[in-house]
Amino acid sequence: MTLLHTEGLSVRFRLRDAVVQAVTDLHLRVRAGELLAVVGESGCGKSVLAHALLGLLPANAEVSGHATVDGTDLLHSGEKVLARQIRGRKIGLIPQSPATALTAVRTGRTLLAETLRAHDRDPKTADRVAADAGFDPADLDRYPFQLSGGMAQRLVTALALATDPPLLIADEPTTGLDRPLVDHTLDLLRRRCDNGGAVLLITHDLAAAERVADTVAVMYASRIVEHRPATGVFTEPAHPYTAALLKALPDREFRPIPGHPPMLTALPPGCAFAPRCPRADTTCATPPTGPVACHHPLHTEVAV
Amino acid sequence: MADRTLLRAAQLTLVAALGATLLVPVIWPLDQSAVDLAHVGLSPSPGHPGGTDDLGRDVLHRSIYGLRVSVLVGIVAALAASLLGGIVGGLAGLLGGWTDRVLMRLIDTLAALPHLLLGIFIVAMLRPSLGAVILSIGLTHWLSTARIVRSELLSLRTRPFIDAAIAGGASRRRVLTRHLLPHVLPKIALATTLMIPHAVWHETSLSFLGLGLPPHLASLGNMINDGQRSLLTGSWWASIVPGLLIIVVTLAIAALATRWRDRLDPRARAELDL
Amino acid sequence: MIKLVRRRLAVAVPVLFATSIGMFLLGAASPMDPAMQYAGATAFTTDPANLAQIRANWGVDDPLPVQYARWLGNLFQGDLGWSTSRHEPVGAVIAARAGWTLLLIGVTLAVVLAGSLLLGTIAAYRRGGLFDRGIRAAAYAVESMPVFWLALAAIAVFALALGWFPAGGLTDVTATSTTFGDVAHHLVLPVAVLTVSQAPWFLLFVRDSVADSLRDDHVLAARARGLRGRTVLFGHALRTALLPFLTLVGTHLPELVGGSVLVETVFSLPGLGAVSVQAALGSDFPLLAAITLITTAVVLLANLCTDLAYTAADPRVRIDG
Repeated sequence: MTLLHTEGLSVRFRLRDAVVQAVTDLHLRVRAGELLAVVGESGCGKSVLAHALLGLLPANAEVSGHATVDGTDLLHSGEKVLARQIRGRKIGLIPQSPATALTAVRTGRTLLAETLRAHDRDPKTADRVAADAGFDPADLDRYPFQLSGGMAQRLVTALALATDPPLLIADEPTTGLDRPLVDHTLDLLRRRCDNGGAVLLITHDLAAAERVADTVAVMYASRIVEHRPATGVFTEPAHPYTAALLKALPDREFRPIPGHPPMLTALPPGCAFAPRCPRADTTCATPPTGPVACHHPLHTEVAV
Repeated sequence: MADRTLLRAAQLTLVAALGATLLVPVIWPLDQSAVDLAHVGLSPSPGHPGGTDDLGRDVLHRSIYGLRVSVLVGIVAALAASLLGGIVGGLAGLLGGWTDRVLMRLIDTLAALPHLLLGIFIVAMLRPSLGAVILSIGLTHWLSTARIVRSELLSLRTRPFIDAAIAGGASRRRVLTRHLLPHVLPKIALATTLMIPHAVWHETSLSFLGLGLPPHLASLGNMINDGQRSLLTGSWWASIVPGLLIIVVTLAIAALATRWRDRLDPRARAELDL
Repeated sequence: MIKLVRRRLAVAVPVLFATSIGMFLLGAASPMDPAMQYAGATAFTTDPANLAQIRANWGVDDPLPVQYARWLGNLFQGDLGWSTSRHEPVGAVIAARAGWTLLLIGVTLAVVLAGSLLLGTIAAYRRGGLFDRGIRAAAYAVESMPVFWLALAAIAVFALALGWFPAGGLTDVTATSTTFGDVAHHLVLPVAVLTVSQAPWFLLFVRDSVADSLRDDHVLAARARGLRGRTVLFGHALRTALLPFLTLVGTHLPELVGGSVLVETVFSLPGLGAVSVQAALGSDFPLLAAITLITTAVVLLANLCTDLAYTAADPRVRIDG
């Protein structure tokens, strides 16, 4: 069953003297029980995607295309529908940088109880919800500034899981955590999928994606350049950018990609990776399409 | 676009106000003590665009004279306040350490004092006069300049080009006059400009209370005070017209100074509307 | 918290002393002769020997430090001196009027805070909209209007042209006793004028800080949890945005005091502000000095209170100290 479906989803920000193309022509599909990892370097538009799906973009954002979750339209529903039927109920979000995502003057317990109450659940279950996410209930009466990075991470996870949403979006949930905590977080996400939930994992950590993802979408300069089952992506990358990303990993060749990603305010008309790509030629001046968006893929016969 | 229209309007207003205060005394001098009892309490008409007051004097004519006095007093008082603020802020910023901490704490506390009441006390004890008004403004309005100068100096001290100048063997005096002053002066000038409306307000408030400039002198505060009498007989223009002049000039100065600040500090403007 | 109180007092007390010295010196430099003032119109017919006697009684010719010490000592003992313009004890003058000024400032502050919080938050919530732009333009316009001018304009419109409210005073001229309804009716215009003149600053501050905080991570995270708009606004955006507001209320009190002096004068209210202007016009040092010093002390104390409230409201300061 398809839970999340986007078609031609694009997000643009209008600034005083420029237009930022944050997300361009995105086609995604996440089924129940599936863990889709959207990977890419920071600044490629991943987090904007999460905010676009939840209707949390600032006023100067222009969104086009289609996006539905569980059959409900996400882009054209009003703020009221989003607040009462989508956020927390159908889509949960583990936000980026948990330290700033927690309201500084409120304790974990009041935040958790407030969320449970807003979704007509028993606020007394806060202890159990916290424990499920690995957060010691004894620490619930602490203020955010008294929590370590790992504790804060587990608290925002507990807040996202409190309402048991069918789709969970995790925005860089492993950043800044030490090894055991990364493992704990990833196991938790994996377990949700194995129990029939769906997870959209947004990360720049390829190793994390490799460990838990069923499907991988590689994002570069606002576009998805390769969207395939995880095993294929990591063993036989088809897009030169994916291949280059993998080679840059410390436990592989540890060779950084030459050059810099383009500014999202000045994207080239053709393939955005062409200037950094060893396989680029004149055909790359036209935009490539398909699940492997490349005119010269490394593998032509790939499972999609 | 709306910004530009407003800015243009502010510029035109100030030019017109400046022109009127400079030209009117030449073309149509005012006899400060003249009264015209044949034309008492006339409502605004083409002959008297601001009407006449209860002594038959032309309100607009006197208002322009009043603006002249008020703005002059405002400028002198703002300069006095900036001088005092510049000295205190300069001491705090240059000496740093204990001096800075004590001075800043002092400024924070002084900012909490009811300055109109203190200003009233100063003029009351010195007897209402031009000098007392300027002293009263200067002594109560220097805090903002002191803060600005101090923070500017502190941020300059950490900048590499100052270190470079000192390392290059520049004398204390040279660093101060060649490197620090050119950066601090524009900020002081801006702070002084922004203070002029406040100084005008303080002066008009004192004059309005009868504690400012001598009562026979056409000043905006005096006129609004005089106009109170006419108000009860229905001649609202006698106090409303001089007040409108204060408002329009205040708005124009504020609009221009805000634009100036945006130029001096482009960071404030580059903020994205995300 | 005790540390904060001690630190504040360490500056506030010397500042108060310095203010009192400065005021005393100004008073001493004043060309007014207190004995002549005391005698009033009879001064010219009074025997010079009597005047000398008054001067000796008051110690006007003692050295300045002695006079200052005596004045301050008397102040501490509750003897505020003799008002030369009103010919009654300063203490009595202040006691009869302080309540009205506190009432005016208190009611105004309450209305200003409630109104600016409500309107500023709505403007921030619908930022860029018609209401936001309209209320900001109005705030900038009102900010440039002198309080006393605003008061006169209000009298011209609401008292004289429309006749809705009295133009001044605290009770009806014909009234024989002070009734609540009468006083309230007389206070509507003064409170409204003072409120309108003070509100822009608070309103713009609330609007900007709430507008900023609506894009903060913690507010977006709260929205992402599916909380209702009102919960997000009051429980998350306002709670953090308004912490600095608390201390700023304290720093804005001097403006409010200045405004009340002008409003009381225009509306002929029997408050401390109006009487201090009369004292100033009559060069009445004892009364004016006492009012100024007491007001200064009260404002400094109120500042300390808002700082303490801030400390209590922000767990980061409360717990870490």
